[in-house]
Amino acid sequence: MSSLNKKLVLAFLFIFMLGSFGFFVIDKATKSRIDNIGIIGQVPSFSLTNFDGSIITEKQLDNRISIVSFIFTQCEGACPIMSENMSILQERFASSNDIQFLSITTDPDYDTLEVLNDYSSNYSNKNNWYFLRGNIIDVIELSEKGFFLSAALLPAGHSTRLVLVDKQLNIRKYYEGTIESNIFELQSDIVTLLNQG
Amino acid sequence: MANKLFFRSALISTILSYLLIFVGGLVRVSGSGLGCPDWPKCFGRWIPPTNIDQIPAHIDPTAFNIVLAWIEYGNRMLGIIVGLSIIVMTVIAVLYFRNNSKILYSALSSLFLVGTNGGLGAIVVSSVLNPFIVSIHMILALFLVSVLSYGTIVSYKLVNSVKLSNILLSKKISISLIALWGLIVIEILLGTGIRTNIELIAIDNPLFSKGELLDALNSYKYLHSVLGFSLLFLSMYLCYLFKNDFLGLSKQLVYFIFGMILFQIFLGELMIFFELPQLTRLFHTWGSSWLVGIIIILYNTLQYEQS
Repeated sequence: MSSLNKKLVLAFLFIFMLGSFGFFVIDKATKSRIDNIGIIGQVPSFSLTNFDGSIITEKQLDNRISIVSFIFTQCEGACPIMSENMSILQERFASSNDIQFLSITTDPDYDTLEVLNDYSSNYSNKNNWYFLRGNIIDVIELSEKGFFLSAALLPAGHSTRLVLVDKQLNIRKYYEGTIESNIFELQSDIVTLLNQG
Repeated sequence: MANKLFFRSALISTILSYLLIFVGGLVRVSGSGLGCPDWPKCFGRWIPPTNIDQIPAHIDPTAFNIVLAWIEYGNRMLGIIVGLSIIVMTVIAVLYFRNNSKILYSALSSLFLVGTNGGLGAIVVSSVLNPFIVSIHMILALFLVSVLSYGTIVSYKLVNSVKLSNILLSKKISISLIALWGLIVIEILLGTGIRTNIELIAIDNPLFSKGELLDALNSYKYLHSVLGFSLLFLSMYLCYLFKNDFLGLSKQLVYFIFGMILFQIFLGELMIFFELPQLTRLFHTWGSSWLVGIIIILYNTLQYEQS
């Protein structure tokens, strides 16, 4: 074999190896995204009132991907950013009927259905976002025992995390609701879950 | 002795930089750019965590994905190796080639480019992978391999007195090569623009299929294809100009350019009409970076025409 042919064979071998390596890494990365949203827990049964007066229970989560947050309308720190981020996600996934949003108030005394109704119109552009209120004791229990999120010194002590819940009511992952890169992550995880069916 | 030393370090730096572009492309296509949320450390550590317990309290562990972290960190580590290799090369240039401006300036500018691009890596992360900034990060890398390729061929000629070609750098050939290089840079910018726009559209429309994403692009996506075919014809013309040359380095490079452009067109069509888009994208980007450097090397293998 001439030295040029030898070089060519070596070059092709090298490119083939590099390609296989690339394929392996891309495949690993894709699989890691699924592994990274493993099941953390199960959403327990609950019953809360939506801003339009309807009763929403855990059955509403069945067969839909849900993004859940705990907020209160008078909150001036994290909540507006969290709700704004949820609003962006609602808009981006507007063409899908498999996704819904739930925001549960940690200040049911102030946040009456009328207040929640006003608040919802600031952020929500589709009827797949439920703004919910209930007995404060129930809300604390749902936050702490249902979603494993701290709920000390309410209303302000609520968690600033968004919860991703899959179609089978499994809690899959938490995202800091005020950090852009976390929202970026949440968006791609929603796509991963949607692609899984 | 110094000539050989510089040539070797320039060659190593060039090869490593090409590998770095490959790995950087891998980070982009596998979506691992945020594998480490901080910079230069990864989750506050110089060696990325292998376990979620190793993440310090002040860093949110939400984004922790061990695979993505190591892919991103691989890019950074290889970047450091490239940086070190270029520092060595620059030291040799400053010590022995103060009177050779071609070598000295190619070494100094590659040091500047690698440093700037490393720093830009921090902005890539803090911008949450703004597609525009990611693309500038890639384009700077292309400048880097261009300068390194230049330094490599200039020093190769100092080491090796073997004749590389019978073809002289006539005006016709010079203009063809410069035009080819310039058009390839424009082609890469168009391709990068297409990728940037696809990513921007995909952020706002995460549910778009590949077809919908392509439909949402401006009509300049066709310009990328048209220019691609024009480049193929230009490279065919170049093969014709070299038809009487012996099979030395120059002619091999001319054939390589033609073959690579053909391969790029094939990959481009593959991306539009078939699946496996990530690996195809990776080689499409990487191949274009080869063309940029190879044309510079080819140009410098040719002797100037005596007038």
